[in-house]
Amino acid sequence: MARSAKTAFVLCLDVGFSMSSSAPGQEPPFQQAKKVIQKFVQRQVFAENKDELGLVLFGSDNTKNDLAKDGQYQNISVHRRLMIPDFELLEGIQNDVHPGSQQADWLDALVVCMDLLQNETLGKKYERLNIVLLTDLNSQSSPDQLDIIMGSLKRAGITLQFILPFPVDGGGSSPPHGGKGLSREQQQGLEMTKQVMMSLDEEDGLDEVYTFSDAIEKLSVFKRIEKRPMAWPCTLTIGSSLAIKIVGYKAVCEERPRKSWSVVDAQTHQKDDVKRDVVYCLNDDEETEVQKDDTIQGYRYGSDIVPFSKVDQDQMKYKTDGKSFAVLGFTKQSTINRHQFMGTQVLKVFAPKDDEHAGVALSGLIRALDEMKMVAVVRYVYARNGNPQVGAAFPCIKSKYECLVYVQLPFMEDLRQYTFPSLENNKKYTPSEDQLSAVDSLIDSMMLEDGEKNDLFKVNHIPNPQYQRLFQCLHYRAVNPSAPLPPMDPWLTAALQRPLAVATRCHSPLETLKKKFPLKEVVKKKELKTSKELFGNSTDEPDAKKAKVDEEEDFNLADITEGNITQVGSVDPARDFRTLIRQKRLPFGEVCQQLTGRIEQLLGNKNMIYYMKCIPCIQTFREQSVQVGNADHYNSYIQSLKKSIPVRGLQEFWDMLVQDTLTLINKEEVEGSTFSIHDAKQFLTADLKKEMVEAPVVDDTGDVDDLLDMM
Amino acid sequence: MAEWNAYYQNEDEDVDGEEGDESGVNYKSTGRDSLVFLVDASKEMFIKGEDGEPSPFDMTMQCVHSVYTTKIISSDKDLVALVFYGTEQSKNPRNSFKHVYVYHDLDSPGARRVQDVDGLRGENGAQVADETMGCGKTNLGEALWCCSNLYSDFKLRLSHKRLMIFTCRDMPHRGDSEHDRQARTKASDLKETGVVIDLMHLMKPGGFDVSLFFCDVVSPPEDEAELGLQMEPCGKLEDLQKRVRAKEIKKRSMARLNLCLGEGMNVAVGVYITARQARKPNAIKLYRDNNEPVLTKTRLYHTQTGSLLLPSDTKRAQVYASKQIVMEKDEVDVIKKFSNPGLDLIGFKPMERLKLHHHLRSAVFIYPEEEMVTGSACVFTALLRRCSERNVFALCKYTRIRNSPPRFLALVPQREEVDEGQAQIAAPGFHGIFLPYADDIRTLDAPQLPTASDAQVEKMKEIVHKLRFKYKSDSFENPVLQQHYRNLEALALDLMAPEHIEDHTMPKVKMMDQRLGSLAQEFKDLVYPADYNPEGKTAPKRKPAEEAGGAGKKPKVEMSEDELRGHLQKGTLGKLTVPVLKDACKQFGVKVTGTKKQELIDALKAQLTK
Repeated sequence: MARSAKTAFVLCLDVGFSMSSSAPGQEPPFQQAKKVIQKFVQRQVFAENKDELGLVLFGSDNTKNDLAKDGQYQNISVHRRLMIPDFELLEGIQNDVHPGSQQADWLDALVVCMDLLQNETLGKKYERLNIVLLTDLNSQSSPDQLDIIMGSLKRAGITLQFILPFPVDGGGSSPPHGGKGLSREQQQGLEMTKQVMMSLDEEDGLDEVYTFSDAIEKLSVFKRIEKRPMAWPCTLTIGSSLAIKIVGYKAVCEERPRKSWSVVDAQTHQKDDVKRDVVYCLNDDEETEVQKDDTIQGYRYGSDIVPFSKVDQDQMKYKTDGKSFAVLGFTKQSTINRHQFMGTQVLKVFAPKDDEHAGVALSGLIRALDEMKMVAVVRYVYARNGNPQVGAAFPCIKSKYECLVYVQLPFMEDLRQYTFPSLENNKKYTPSEDQLSAVDSLIDSMMLEDGEKNDLFKVNHIPNPQYQRLFQCLHYRAVNPSAPLPPMDPWLTAALQRPLAVATRCHSPLETLKKKFPLKEVVKKKELKTSKELFGNSTDEPDAKKAKVDEEEDFNLADITEGNITQVGSVDPARDFRTLIRQKRLPFGEVCQQLTGRIEQLLGNKNMIYYMKCIPCIQTFREQSVQVGNADHYNSYIQSLKKSIPVRGLQEFWDMLVQDTLTLINKEEVEGSTFSIHDAKQFLTADLKKEMVEAPVVDDTGDVDDLLDMM
Repeated sequence: MAEWNAYYQNEDEDVDGEEGDESGVNYKSTGRDSLVFLVDASKEMFIKGEDGEPSPFDMTMQCVHSVYTTKIISSDKDLVALVFYGTEQSKNPRNSFKHVYVYHDLDSPGARRVQDVDGLRGENGAQVADETMGCGKTNLGEALWCCSNLYSDFKLRLSHKRLMIFTCRDMPHRGDSEHDRQARTKASDLKETGVVIDLMHLMKPGGFDVSLFFCDVVSPPEDEAELGLQMEPCGKLEDLQKRVRAKEIKKRSMARLNLCLGEGMNVAVGVYITARQARKPNAIKLYRDNNEPVLTKTRLYHTQTGSLLLPSDTKRAQVYASKQIVMEKDEVDVIKKFSNPGLDLIGFKPMERLKLHHHLRSAVFIYPEEEMVTGSACVFTALLRRCSERNVFALCKYTRIRNSPPRFLALVPQREEVDEGQAQIAAPGFHGIFLPYADDIRTLDAPQLPTASDAQVEKMKEIVHKLRFKYKSDSFENPVLQQHYRNLEALALDLMAPEHIEDHTMPKVKMMDQRLGSLAQEFKDLVYPADYNPEGKTAPKRKPAEEAGGAGKKPKVEMSEDELRGHLQKGTLGKLTVPVLKDACKQFGVKVTGTKKQELIDALKAQLTK
């Protein structure tokens, strides 16, 4: 693969004193320019390409450049030589680049930049050399060298971009925008800028002159990482004798971030400190570990599990004989359902670029298909080890090119033929004429088009918000390692919303619609939780997915034996307790009593194994009490339990409770509780012995009943 | 070519973690689906149709067979049972029911069962059925009772319970009102326990009159408008299969969301997947000694202390410009959060704005959920109708779950369509087409090439015309999957060789050539000069070995021993690239097992310092 070509940039920033002056309420040009530079460098850092970047400041208080001597090229400082940009540079810009109190000739600065570029790129290969000049043009510059400078720019193949606080006009003589007049220097500078740019590119030269605000907007978008399109050369075949050489390219495909997160130790932040380890164990009670070498590969065939070694599999599996783009036949475009497109990509298929004959042949096919409104159904195999696909090749004729657009189609196994109840034939759901016209006016008001039929909301112009947000956070965290993540960039939020014009337009049709169509949310008892998640706007709910999983586990466990649970048994008291609470056949207090009875029974054994069994019981007891919203039983039990600990010698068990912070239920959790959070915390930490003194001495044997009586 | 290969690896791994868990979650939470085939085995069922149509029994077995095999591929946890009634012999768990033969009780189908059902197909099948079961008296009530026992005997929780009756007799008890009544009672008992009863009635001379008896047995339609009972009996296997297939899988939404038309106007909808790439399931690890599956546990532990790490003991990191950026796991998740789950309407666009190449992944299907927000169906219907009539689509922002970043969907209206037999061929609802973001679209340099002349196009049109066919989306089976399952089947049943599969993805070259006749040559004469070979080398043809292994791909960088020793002395071996090191190893005949750089360096050092 060809080495990716790199670009060398020199950013040339005017820090002269005029840059920091501005009309009241406006950001000084210096700040704007600094932002542009930060955004640009940031983007380069995350793009992770080989592009190199240098930074030259002019109008600075100090002078630091190779050309400075005899009072020439003063107040121009090379802040950074040509290097791959990194966070150090970003930090440097943030902390060390300040407005200066001098002014310097921007043409001089340009010469310094050229010198820098030429010296440092010597002997290395670059695809492009570029200088970006950020200035308000407010310094005296001597145009006598202009021709020489332009000449050497051209010779060296250096391109130039200007970013200015004000727009430059293509017309040339019209007065500048913004109401604020330009100084004489600025006007002169502007003329020179135009001259320079036009001489570099007569037609589009001025396209490379931007305003600060323009640039910030453009640079706010993290540039996607350009991937070179990969050519897939193949031969399109029709029958055995007709072949056309083709080249396919991925045209649309979900772009994924190039980097993934690695797991690091929370303390050391070292990746090497964390090791992932996969173990295999038998599905028996002990979960006996087995070695990887003692395992073989198998597959499920319905209820059967079939051992199937890799070797056998490779030998028996379906094999293709290499890449293919073979036409199976032609069919009407209307028989291909748009919603049945499969796969994750769209290919564009051209003839090879140096093969006219293939071009003509393919064009023949494309045009024939287009005129007949047909598509080619083809067998597509990417390579020898690829799986075959069946797909459709649509003709696509554009003013500049012709191609086939290939999309994968479903296999029989991919389809789920669901039937849905009819809507329009159902009297209950049939909308009235009145309602239909309300929908009509909604559609009218929400057409995403302006008067000239321009699209107001082009999804394919929006950068993937996921990556924009990711890079925003990454950058922020890189520079501010201990600060919480920043809120979303406002421009990004705005880009994902209904355009303002449409939102205003549709306001009253929406109100009408609301009146015409009564909607009522149904809250089923059982679904309370999920519906709330869906419809509620409360923000501190648990993660939807997690909640679902939790619920699910509960259900499965309980469902199996649900039928015959009538009391809290000794095998799995916690589970029984949960089930009984859910079934609501017995009063809550009674179920609690049954559970505590079991707990006491288990604790009577004074053995670690039994203690371990008690912990989940108490956990569940607490959990369910919070859920039911009744803390009395739990709190009074846990209090009496605590009192009895020293007497019964259950210190070890108490430590376990403390470890799991199984404390009192506080007011925040259940309203009826009489304990504050502080009380609850105190409860576990308070000295046992002290309380012991206060606690009445309870006879060990009578303990169980006493405790239960308290409930 | 890394990029293309990467795509293929992805495909096998199920790139879309997001999509991957969609079907799973709902499924587990609700229990297992079950389907009982209750098949009439009376004499009438074995009578062959006119013009060589297979007998109703044969057709039924074909259907059952195909359900078994598709279940194995698409939903291998589902339970299926096969029960015959009207048999001479009886076989059921307690043998308490006469003339009811439980061929397979509720279980997930496996190789043996598929083979069993296969054995009941065709001529031979009829004979096998006659020998094992025979034809006898009919008591549908008993049969239904037996089925209800199958359900109640099953230990795991069942979510969806469906029973399909296959028969060609509209009066199974020949008017015996006592038996009829009993059957009706049993049927209503079953329905009460949540079993959905369907009738798959088959062609019978003189027509099948549902109203005589079966109308009281089967479940009422899902809603008043659905015709529920397919009044026309099935005469063809294809129809029967279609009918069975439509009911066989319980449809489940992967998400129930609000379609928000604007502030305070929320319509409840379900999101369904109607097409999704079926993939070869992942291999499972078995213990060598007993072929039982083993559990796989992944643990994280600290390299230095060896202690296990809880998720809270770790953080996440990425490195950019040699700086490590660290975040909490929760932060990584929350970065992906943009808005609450839902579909937010942005606006509408004319249909022609939806471009052919706007495709990223399989579409979803949107249907109203009246049970969640009453009135939803009505708004939805109105919207569907007007969008369709005005030829516009709705553009929505789609957030599937809390922490999933938004995607934009084009909601394309589809109105209901039914065929002559009142079977639905297109369901009413919106198809949600995923739209690409700017990052997803690649810029290509289209080559500038001459275009074809009218004569050339005309010739190609003739070719296209000759090779027309009617495309149906379900006419291609996935040969990779089919071969995989045939292999498993063969291994499970100890067959000598797997059953042959027909690969429909291969072009029928002979037939195409025949149909084209001289057209192909004529077209070639029009577009290609005499000395042009379209099959010749365009891209330099690679040798197969290269394509597979890529061993000879890289240019060899020969390095002299001196140079190498120089590096060794200066300790700069590490600066060489892996391929260079590998070549050097080869050059000096050093055998290396690993491919890691350090391993290569170590091996070289060992060799050179000898």
